Amino acid sequence: MSVIGIIISGVLINNFIFMQYLGICPFIGVSQTLETALGMSGAVIFVMTIASAVTAAFEQFVLAQLGLEYLRTIAYILVIAAFVQLVEIFMKKALPGLYKALGIYLPLITTNCAVLGVTMLNVRHSYSILMSTVNGFAGALGWSLAIIIFAGIRERWQLMDIPPALEGFPLALISTGLMSLAFLGFSGLFKGLL
Amino acid sequence: MSEPRRSLGFDFIKGFIQENPTFALAIGMCPTLAVTTSVENGFWMGMAVVFVLTFSNVFVSLLRRFIPDAIRIPIFVILIATPVVIVELVMKAYLPAIYEVMGIFVPLIVVNCIIIARAEAFAYRYPVMNSLMDGLGIGAAYTVNLMVIGGIREFLGTGQIALGSIVFPSAPFFEPAAVMLTPPGGFITLGLLMVLFRVTLGSKAKVEDHSKTS
Amino acid sequence: MEDRLLVTPAPHITSSKTVRGIMLDVVVSLVPASIAAVVIFGVRSLLIILASVVSAVAAEAIYQKLFKKPLTINDMSATVTGLLLALTLPPNVPIWIPIIGSVFAIVIAKQIFGGLGTNFVNPALAGRAFVLAAWPLHMTHDWVTPLGYDALTGATPLAAFNGTGKTALTLRDLLLGLRAGSLGETCIIALLAGGIYLIARDVIDWRIPVGYLGTLALGTWIFGSPNGFFMGDWISGLLLGGAVLGSFFMATDYVTSPVTRRGRLCMGIGAGVVTLLIRLWGSYPEGVTYAILFMNLVTPLIDKYIVPKYYGYAHDVQARKAATGGAK
Repeated sequence: MSVIGIIISGVLINNFIFMQYLGICPFIGVSQTLETALGMSGAVIFVMTIASAVTAAFEQFVLAQLGLEYLRTIAYILVIAAFVQLVEIFMKKALPGLYKALGIYLPLITTNCAVLGVTMLNVRHSYSILMSTVNGFAGALGWSLAIIIFAGIRERWQLMDIPPALEGFPLALISTGLMSLAFLGFSGLFKGLL
Repeated sequence: MSEPRRSLGFDFIKGFIQENPTFALAIGMCPTLAVTTSVENGFWMGMAVVFVLTFSNVFVSLLRRFIPDAIRIPIFVILIATPVVIVELVMKAYLPAIYEVMGIFVPLIVVNCIIIARAEAFAYRYPVMNSLMDGLGIGAAYTVNLMVIGGIREFLGTGQIALGSIVFPSAPFFEPAAVMLTPPGGFITLGLLMVLFRVTLGSKAKVEDHSKTS
Repeated sequence: MEDRLLVTPAPHITSSKTVRGIMLDVVVSLVPASIAAVVIFGVRSLLIILASVVSAVAAEAIYQKLFKKPLTINDMSATVTGLLLALTLPPNVPIWIPIIGSVFAIVIAKQIFGGLGTNFVNPALAGRAFVLAAWPLHMTHDWVTPLGYDALTGATPLAAFNGTGKTALTLRDLLLGLRAGSLGETCIIALLAGGIYLIARDVIDWRIPVGYLGTLALGTWIFGSPNGFFMGDWISGLLLGGAVLGSFFMATDYVTSPVTRRGRLCMGIGAGVVTLLIRLWGSYPEGVTYAILFMNLVTPLIDKYIVPKYYGYAHDVQARKAATGGAK
């Protein structure tokens, strides 16, 4: 699959939220305003892209070499957790502006199943390190598109009178269902051409 | 830390209503949506979670006095990842078809919010027996949740429910709605079930919602 | 203190138009297409329309009664939803499909959010998308031969057109609607009559259908022929499928389209682009439903970032120029 193919696939055809069920908790938790959605998106794109690269490299140069593939889950989650911690420390010291914008979202990302999810998907697809990185970026882009669209919609709900039984998760879930219904249109896009 | 003695029975039962992970606490949504395309898948994922959650709760609780607060999350992750690897290997060996269907969601159990949340909120603070009951109870409740959601989606989506080689009814008596097995069907079903839970049992449950506008 | 600050969503300046008045206009504008449906596809069309409308109104009434909300079925918005949904269905679908579709459209896509004005997707299209995903075989095979009233289970003319870039149908056939297709999408003359009526009555903004159909025509001309660029049969591309029905009657729904004029043009163009993408390179023959639903989703973002020049802008510009002596 070409680079463009992976990107279109990640953003539209196999959108992480609407098609793959990955990263739903923060998607619902951080989408109340466009501001938080954008902040979280930035952090997610950053972490997912580099985590994909790092875990893919780790897979190729350590796990494969030593025949330890069965330890993949433990290894990946530790690599991701360590990486996010390092990034947080570095950002706090060296990029305080960026830290102020994105920093609070970073600890949340370790448990964002989209991050570990995409690294696992990279293995499933047998992607090279480069393709894994692209796939991580694409998946994050799709995730961000979803949360930004949703935030746009949710901002309008602040003025509406919603019954308590529906408020919060139930309405969010049903809305996500309606959004994913719309995204069904993109399935099979460019089939055979990518 | 001296904690009051808690009823072991309560710690087991509370997962079903008061602290129902899916419908009250609203955690661990991703695998809930992904594996509930059939009752069978729901059941096996539930069993996997029971094992991992109980294992994790017990060990976190056993070691809780020795785990420094600052690095507790990474320690939790290691304690959770270990049983997950065990589950992966066992499933791969003895239930290869189910393992294949569940795909990445088996290793993703390691970041399942339910497990980390219970370690943090419960096992880190309470004695071993209570943590054991908490793990078993929340896990069992989660399994029931998965099977109910899976049952609805499978029945409406295929017209039948298949448990191993038993298929009921033998032929669908209505035209099944394929959409139920797709993400839109999953999201809407879960959302509607949550409303149902809140309307019927909501008064008794500790409904936490991290998604509302502050 | 909070009680003294009343915050309500737009609009804040109202005209003499009522919701019911607007909805009546829409129903009137759809009468030609409905009559065409009965003539071209048979009396069953009437049955489908009735089932859909009755289900929609009943669903709204029952929901509002059940949850002790004020009854709004008199504003006829449910009627319009039911009618629009019916017109997008193949003529031979079993009756339970419009019924289930209408209930979904009204309850899930509209009422649980709080009723009219609170939905973020077009309810009729959401209902259609739902039944399409649930029973794809019915929704893509239950066709009827025009004027022959026989069942026809094959690909639509649009599907054939997407593949080959050509169609055997004449311009007369296309304009009169003598082709297989959904109930209300085929008779272009009837649809255009209704659409022009709505524009004349100031119910819809011409920018949406013009932007939509213009983009679709341009794209079909450029990319629509498998033999090369700039050779596509854009006329057939416009008249086949549901683009005319969708662009005039669905994409223009007030609640789910942008507020500003530039925004509406964007929506039309965007819907055209997505329709093209799906028709030419996607796995469905028709992209109108998904294109409009997708543009519904991004409408809040369009409204947020395409801000109209505020009232008094021209005056400010002049004042600024005068203050700086006209220089710079």
